[in-house]
Amino acid sequence: MNFLYFDPAIGAMIVQAIVAAVAGVLLFSKNLLFKIKLFLGIVKTTDKDLFDDIDIEKSDIENKKSSDS
Amino acid sequence: MTHKPSHPSSFRDPSGYVYIDEGVVKRAINPIYFKQYAALKDSGFFDKLFNNKVLISHKELSKSHTEIIIQPEQIPFITYPYEWSFNQYKEAALLTLKIQKFSLENGFSLKDASAFNVTFHNGKAIFIDTLSFDFYAKNTPWRAYKQFVTHFLGPLLLAHYHGSQSLKLMSEFFDGIPLKMLASMLPFKSKLSPFLYTNIHLLAKFENKHSEDYKGNAKVKPLSKKAQLNIVKTLYSYIKKLELKEDSEWGNYYNKINYSDAAFNLKAKTIDSWITNLKPEKIIDIGGNDGAFVRQITHRLEQALVCDIDNNAVDFNYVKAKTNKENYMTPFVLDVLNPSSAIGFNNKERFSFIQRIQKFTPDVTLALAVIHHISLSGNVAFNMSASFFASFSKYLIIEFPKKNDSWVERLLNSKAEFKDHFSSYSIENFEKSYAIFFDIIEKKEIDDTKRVLFLLKKQR
Repeated sequence: MNFLYFDPAIGAMIVQAIVAAVAGVLLFSKNLLFKIKLFLGIVKTTDKDLFDDIDIEKSDIENKKSSDS
Repeated sequence: MTHKPSHPSSFRDPSGYVYIDEGVVKRAINPIYFKQYAALKDSGFFDKLFNNKVLISHKELSKSHTEIIIQPEQIPFITYPYEWSFNQYKEAALLTLKIQKFSLENGFSLKDASAFNVTFHNGKAIFIDTLSFDFYAKNTPWRAYKQFVTHFLGPLLLAHYHGSQSLKLMSEFFDGIPLKMLASMLPFKSKLSPFLYTNIHLLAKFENKHSEDYKGNAKVKPLSKKAQLNIVKTLYSYIKKLELKEDSEWGNYYNKINYSDAAFNLKAKTIDSWITNLKPEKIIDIGGNDGAFVRQITHRLEQALVCDIDNNAVDFNYVKAKTNKENYMTPFVLDVLNPSSAIGFNNKERFSFIQRIQKFTPDVTLALAVIHHISLSGNVAFNMSASFFASFSKYLIIEFPKKNDSWVERLLNSKAEFKDHFSSYSIENFEKSYAIFFDIIEKKEIDDTKRVLFLLKKQR
């Protein structure tokens, strides 16, 4: 069954293999950098962020905590 | 099957359609989507999204073998992407990515990623297209990836590089910023960023290359779920960090105003006492800047729409409301001299500002320090602005700066030799024109200023 009702975006489907490979490298190097910073003790606290983390359920727990307090 | 006349914006998706039943928004689901709907419902996926307030909640009204009817929670006033401030736009983009990640982890995927699937409700961005979810097919790339880039990442990048006014482009580019144009509008150095190079420039190149492939000859490579999640995660962290380059112009607005703290307080107090007497549930503040006067109202409001032409002022208001959890506040960008028009197929897919505000029926309209801009910057005659306000307001609280107010003088001086054409700008003419549509209930001069506050009631 085909639910497609907009632009098929074939190029966008193909290019995602490359985008994902680069994304993987970016995430890996960011994590590595984070671990190094953590090791050196220069990690900035991010609790003043306007926006939550990407995880829906994790932010749910945060929301509950803040509304309880 | 009783097919109800669908909402004019609900025709693209064969899974179902939205319709209005005696003023209530409902959604019919077609048999083609029954399997997905059952899975989303039975697995608790919908409930999790409802509980986290990321998807508009709904209840099932009826179920037959030809259609399922659901009724979503009603949203009193829908704002569109071209009316969002920068951080509102960011929140909508991040919400879409959050939902896509959650979907992937639960065996679903968003089949589209239109910015029009999101609006603001109770102080938060919320996803409103309940039928956007489909089963995740193993190892397929994200169908809606391109749409996400053209609807969200693209406009945000243009706002970053060229200013927040770029977000208005979404009213013209109905299905997102065209990729080729987007790529051409980014500076050369964006090609050096691995993230921007792949997500914009390479994507534009690939799309261009395959745009003529009508036979589907090109082979789509499989993409693991983990790889797709990597795309979603990098998009999320990039957008979360994206900032505007421009300084907020409005920032020192209240330092530039031509009256004292005492006058400000008197103005706020007068408005508050009038509002408290009227006991409104919903109001709109036209030209409300950062919501300063709405925040001074002590009467509890259900909803306050606060619009302004300045994206930065709206953004400041939004960030403040979000931080203080002032969920009754709905900030959005609006140019009163050119309010959002009805757009889309048949000019009916997205409603105009006038259509939406008339349906919202605010109890009180505030128009503070805005009439001189409408009249002198916009050359709009008093009877025209009076008729505009009368089209949706029951009560109107309007501030009139007299001709010798310094702001009015500045505006008049900018007219140079045409200054005399604006001789009709006087409080007498103002009252005469507004009296055609409104009764004057109260009138109060604000001490130490050249300004007068009016409380007007629309004539029956």
